[in-house]
Amino acid sequence: MQPTEIVAYLYQISDVFAFLVLAAAGLAIIFGMMGIINMAHGEFIAMGGYVTTYSYHAGVPLAAAVMIGALACGLFGVFLERTIVRRFYHRPIDSLVATWGISLIMTQGALLLLGSGAPGVGTPFGSVSLANASFSIYRLVLFAIAVLLLVGLYLLFMKTRFGRHARATMQNAAMARALGVPVQGIYSVTFGLGAALAGLCGGLYAPTMTLSPMMGATFVIEAFVTVVAGGADVLIGTPPAAIALAVIKATATAFYGQVYGVMSLLVAVCLVVRLMPEGFTGWLIRRRS
Amino acid sequence: MTIKLGALLAGVAAFAISAAQAADKPPIKIGLLEDQSGEIALFTLPKVRGTQLAVEEINKAGGIMGRQLELIAYDPQFDNSKFQEFTRRLLDKDKVDVLFAGATSASREAVRPIVDNSDVLYFYTNQYEGGVCDGNMIGTGGLPEQQFSTLIPWMMEKYGKKVYIIAADYNFGQISAEWTRKLVKDNGGEIVGQELIPLGVSQFGQTIQNIQKAKPDWLMSLVVGNSQSSFYEQAPAAGLKIPMGSSITIGLGFEHKRFKPPAMENMHVAMNWFEELEDPKAKEFVARWRAKFPTETYINDMGQNAYAAIYMYKKLVEMAGGSTKLADIRKQIATGNACIDAPEGQICIDPKSQHAAHRMWQISVDAAHKVKTERSWDRIEPYWLGQIGCDLTKDDPKEQYTPSSLPKK
Amino acid sequence: MRSFLSLLNGPQTFGNSRGFWAAAVAVFLVALFYPLVADSYTVGNLAYFGVWVFMALGLSLIWGYGGMLSFGQTAFFGLAGYSYGVIAINLGANYGYPVLALVCALVIAAVLALVLGYFMIYGRITGVFVGIVTLSVTLTFATFLNQTAGPEWRIGRARLNGYNGMTRIPSLSIPWFDGDKITFRGEALYYLVLVMLVLCYLGLRILVNSRFGNVLVAIRENPERAELLGYDIRRYQLVAFIIGSTLAGLSGVLYTAWGQFIVPASMALPAAAMPIIWVAVGGRKDLTATLIGSLFVLWLFQNLIVISQQYALIVIGALLLVTILYMPGGYIVWLVENRDALFNWRRRRAQRLAASQPAANDGAAE
Repeated sequence: MQPTEIVAYLYQISDVFAFLVLAAAGLAIIFGMMGIINMAHGEFIAMGGYVTTYSYHAGVPLAAAVMIGALACGLFGVFLERTIVRRFYHRPIDSLVATWGISLIMTQGALLLLGSGAPGVGTPFGSVSLANASFSIYRLVLFAIAVLLLVGLYLLFMKTRFGRHARATMQNAAMARALGVPVQGIYSVTFGLGAALAGLCGGLYAPTMTLSPMMGATFVIEAFVTVVAGGADVLIGTPPAAIALAVIKATATAFYGQVYGVMSLLVAVCLVVRLMPEGFTGWLIRRRS
Repeated sequence: MTIKLGALLAGVAAFAISAAQAADKPPIKIGLLEDQSGEIALFTLPKVRGTQLAVEEINKAGGIMGRQLELIAYDPQFDNSKFQEFTRRLLDKDKVDVLFAGATSASREAVRPIVDNSDVLYFYTNQYEGGVCDGNMIGTGGLPEQQFSTLIPWMMEKYGKKVYIIAADYNFGQISAEWTRKLVKDNGGEIVGQELIPLGVSQFGQTIQNIQKAKPDWLMSLVVGNSQSSFYEQAPAAGLKIPMGSSITIGLGFEHKRFKPPAMENMHVAMNWFEELEDPKAKEFVARWRAKFPTETYINDMGQNAYAAIYMYKKLVEMAGGSTKLADIRKQIATGNACIDAPEGQICIDPKSQHAAHRMWQISVDAAHKVKTERSWDRIEPYWLGQIGCDLTKDDPKEQYTPSSLPKK
Repeated sequence: MRSFLSLLNGPQTFGNSRGFWAAAVAVFLVALFYPLVADSYTVGNLAYFGVWVFMALGLSLIWGYGGMLSFGQTAFFGLAGYSYGVIAINLGANYGYPVLALVCALVIAAVLALVLGYFMIYGRITGVFVGIVTLSVTLTFATFLNQTAGPEWRIGRARLNGYNGMTRIPSLSIPWFDGDKITFRGEALYYLVLVMLVLCYLGLRILVNSRFGNVLVAIRENPERAELLGYDIRRYQLVAFIIGSTLAGLSGVLYTAWGQFIVPASMALPAAAMPIIWVAVGGRKDLTATLIGSLFVLWLFQNLIVISQQYALIVIGALLLVTILYMPGGYIVWLVENRDALFNWRRRRAQRLAASQPAANDGAAE
């Protein structure tokens, strides 16, 4: 392979990696922490996209608009957690039905209230050329953000008091409560964080996509696949899972086309579940000990 | 108790009055099945509104030969089994006189077997891959022979002979790609690459790279749906600036309203309707629509087709002397005189295929997303079905044919 | 035979009393004679609802009794539907070939269930991961079938036809005397579905109340304990999975024969979640609850669309939330469990009133 082809290939892998990390981070936290399958994940992403776009059109610069989008989703997530979600901890199947109901309301509500929404934001930063290929700079920015996000989550969960409490709650909620950890508050904030990350994904990708109430749907399957491959711990499991899946998908797409790209992920998840039931988390934990 | 009795009497009185009014001429029941929620509702809601506008206008003007139109609509939620369920309801329970249903070809194919077992007329008002030879159905949307045979020679002459195709990986996309390949070759061109994209995919990094590598003169883009249209944002962002041709953008998906300029710059489309047409009749129609639906983002071709189809039905019933029976209407179609002046221009139903001959318009989009009309053709016939042997004046196979699945001789 | 029939009642099903069976027979008789009084649309519509109930009953067996949330019901629905379509188009509509197509499609569904089930269950995949794997398999099939629109995708005379779906599929028919045949449409289909539904329901009742069903529920409650007691839990789960998935295949064949049409979207995501929604709302831990519950939910959803059009999805979403919040076992189960409280509120109110009377009289008398 020529040098430009290698660069192009690496670019594609990093592009898919960013997509998987950003799409899956929120879902991984919610699933890992609370054992809840959030079928409204796509709708949170769409909500982030909408809030970001509307903020941008109201004059807010793009970076701030994305933050506003994430924040709005986070707050909405906390609200949902307090009213509905908290009754479904560790009942993944009931939470599936409940969040499916929420997703129906959000999607159709958005369509009825907002219609086709606002015109898009437009991708910032332009492109850079290399031989006869050119690459969007913004997508490299997304890759950088994905990496920073993982680092930030690591710092949050490892180095802060909240992070310690959250990990304790994840491992053994009853014991954590007995030790004085405000478990209920941890759950609320964590669900809000998961929702905020979904909103962040939507806000970041909104400039590259069509704005529609269903725009989250394109992220959901890949997010689920990454979460399953990664396992319960977003810090240990998600990064290696995202790298592995990004390589698989980018390679399949490059050589065989988009159909095989999509199917490669679905096949991968079946194999992962069969060979590594607890995902990368379980595999890495076992290797460490 | 007294209040209830009073209300009851008032209700009976009102019913008696309205019954007396309607007693002389029963209404014509129009069945409408278009998505009002779900994946493509953004694009199909104009169909509902166009139908409502046409029904309202016709009723104000006295209905069809004195009979008012009654619109019965259900929302199939982009679910093919609901299309089947509600078609049965419209046919068996509501007993509609005519059915307007379906945007995707899948939904049309779900509806057709049910309609074919009845004697109800069925209008399919979307552009599609063509080929349905069915006596129960009238197709009023654009067809490949109308859209591609106009656009492709022009694009090749203006931009060059090397063409790259990206298409949604399903029937419509694949058949449109097939038409493109054939017409490019017939005009002496070369396909330097083709890529089929599964529905729902929204990330085009690899595709963009492939296009750049192949260095085409222009791109035929047949991506379909919300997710896939993200291509138009990602391509220029990645530095891919290339002339593009399509049969579905702008007029159907109104990307120029949904994407920030200059994403759709240098896009060229041939279709039977765009909201921006300079024609006075078109402008007047747009004004009427926007008076009734002020928040409409864009009146797309589906919306105009739905509106025009109601008027076409009115014409057919009038030609048949007031009869809504399928056999009588088909006799009128066979005369070849079933024409109306739609907002797009004159459209006529071709007797052999029961599809519409259209006024075709070709537009281009500039960097500010302004739409400019390049050319128009007065009448392009839906000639392909007749060419391959479909003649509904003689027999009724109720089949869908494709370039690779022709009628057996 | 008697011991078989005695299994109709048992600890795993509601409704074991004489009253229940009397009511059930009454309902059956009403259903039998209903077409004589109802219009053809309602009869056809009921038959249409009935077609989906087999899938719900199968999911009840796999999920409610077996504890495995399978997203694969629509995969078997679709595969059996396509199999029926391919075989029926190739063999034709005469000589009872469609019935042969039905049987073959069910066999194909069962074999595929065996393969997928073996892979999952003997691979020790449990809990929510069963759902994920079955969903992935379902979506893979749907994605693959979506792009089979080209002419090279044919099996014999039947073109798969990709996203647009396979059409011109013959209806179910059986040859009759005088060279004629009965085509199962409208009323005939109604009776066929009714008979099949009754047979499946009774058969499943016998199954779940038998030793097999008891062990299955034990596995659902506590797999380790069941294993420690010596049962090979994988075999029980696999059998339940195969039976449940084949029932979904039966729904698929009947749907395809009813509409003469099958499409990959029947297996894609919103469709794949529907059986789970019906069963979750109707009640999954009991067959009767599933039967009545899913019929009601199907009828309800249809009428919600008729009434509220664009708002239907919002109403349905709210309904799901309310049901899962307050009636997590499904509303039928909730009704059964709370019927004492519901029916006795009058008696309790009368008791309260009676209890407060003497005090008033005492006060007034002075």
